[in-house]
Amino acid sequence: MGEILKTVINLVAVFAIPFIIGSFVLYGIFKKVRVYETFVEGAKEGFNTAVRIIPYLVAMLVAIGIFRASGAMDLLVAVLDPVTRLIGMPGEALPMALMRPLSGSGSIGIMTDIMKVHGPDSFIGILVSTMYGSSETTFYVLAVYFGAVAVKNTRHAVLAGIIADIAGALGALFIVKVLFG
Amino acid sequence: MLNYIWLGLIVIAILVGVGYDIRDEVVNTYQNGQELTAEIAVMSLAGSAASAVSPDGVLPPGKYQGMLKISGRRFSEFYRLKSADTSLFLQPVALSISGGSAGSPSSQNTLIITLNDATPQFWRDMAQAAGTKTTLTGLLKSFRIGPAGVSLASFTLSPVSFVKMRKITQAAVDYAGTAVTISLGLIGIMALWIGIMKIAEEAGIIRFITKLVTPLTRRLFPDVPSDHPAIGAMIMNISANMLGLSNAATPLGLKAMEDLDTLNQKKGVATNAMVTFLAINTAGLTFIPATAIAIRVSLGSASPTVIVGTSIIGAACATVAGITAAKLLEKLPVYRRALELDPPKDSGSTDQKGA
Repeated sequence: MGEILKTVINLVAVFAIPFIIGSFVLYGIFKKVRVYETFVEGAKEGFNTAVRIIPYLVAMLVAIGIFRASGAMDLLVAVLDPVTRLIGMPGEALPMALMRPLSGSGSIGIMTDIMKVHGPDSFIGILVSTMYGSSETTFYVLAVYFGAVAVKNTRHAVLAGIIADIAGALGALFIVKVLFG
Repeated sequence: MLNYIWLGLIVIAILVGVGYDIRDEVVNTYQNGQELTAEIAVMSLAGSAASAVSPDGVLPPGKYQGMLKISGRRFSEFYRLKSADTSLFLQPVALSISGGSAGSPSSQNTLIITLNDATPQFWRDMAQAAGTKTTLTGLLKSFRIGPAGVSLASFTLSPVSFVKMRKITQAAVDYAGTAVTISLGLIGIMALWIGIMKIAEEAGIIRFITKLVTPLTRRLFPDVPSDHPAIGAMIMNISANMLGLSNAATPLGLKAMEDLDTLNQKKGVATNAMVTFLAINTAGLTFIPATAIAIRVSLGSASPTVIVGTSIIGAACATVAGITAAKLLEKLPVYRRALELDPPKDSGSTDQKGA
């Protein structure tokens, strides 16, 4: 089962992009679209979008960067640890849950460290990699996506994102506990 | 809300940083001015130079290369660390003896420790704070050559202070650069995918995909006409995320946001559809958590893909919770008011800048 899954994953990773590009362009020609001109026209917009998100990304990443550098995370973990232990979350996994929405590279670092110490197939190793796999870098996504359309009043987006993150972490904890605990 | 989170991250970081720095000063975490004793094997003494050592073990003036040996236990004791690592570690060290017997107050005998893979994180942090990064410098207080070139040295390392403040400064500068690198790195991939999307739009592929999922999207995004290009871009983005194609997902997602913004009555304020879309997006539902699997493989996992199922369930919880939260919260008066058009002072001027 695992082997088949691995093969499927590899196949998708290798073929998806060439397949999408190839089939879209071929179908475009079939539909008599002037594919080259159309592509270039669209590609021009890409540049503007990428440049437009720079200030938003700088603002967000600098705040997250100094937060990580200050050691505030350790403090937050110390404060939350007694609470999360009540629901059976191992203390080592808590930094992962807190870092995941903030920083992709930071959470990869935490995940790798934990798996190096406890082993990737240990309960906590499976838990942190599930947590990584079952969520996104919420604040990065919000900054970039809203930056692209210059939205400054994000309304309930942050709250909804945080609620989703908490639900994701709890869901991951629950299912890993049931299957591997 | 992003405002407060942003402010919170910065203020908390600086307060915590200052707090840690004051504590470090008070308890002398970095043992500034304290003498650490360790073994140093001087290498360049092997040949004829050995004869130059005076009988009481004092080195003649000059520069020497050596190897510093400290046991992990001694290191943890000295710095009052909780680390359980008791293994011996070796650090290349350069000594500079400027004459006079080491230990006399006038002599300025120094040592420079070059950091390597074995260096404990604690020393790395100290080197980072001292600004030297790959080396640690210190003063040799006493040094006597024993038999076979091995000897006990005691030394103090250059004082280190305000480590967190320095780290914060460094992080601010580094991350500002990282943000630009990421954005510029997106240019090519953005151009590629938005170009492909344009072809798909013209060829009618997007309209086809959109029609397939209309029953779903009409409920999720009631404000967006079901044949609007935004629907196509959102579906493409969510599908790319599900397949683990994060390179393609971001450009498609940004395209979706731009398409959604064409329906936005009040520029600069997020619409309900945008928030719902981002709730789905940040929940990160993926069938192929490629990064996590790759790291598990690299760490020698016996079953790296075992997390696929658990990740899908975790992300499904996040997706359901995110959509529910977005749908419920958008009904709250606070958030509804932000969308109202009439009172111009409501959220201040949002889009006054050119460019």
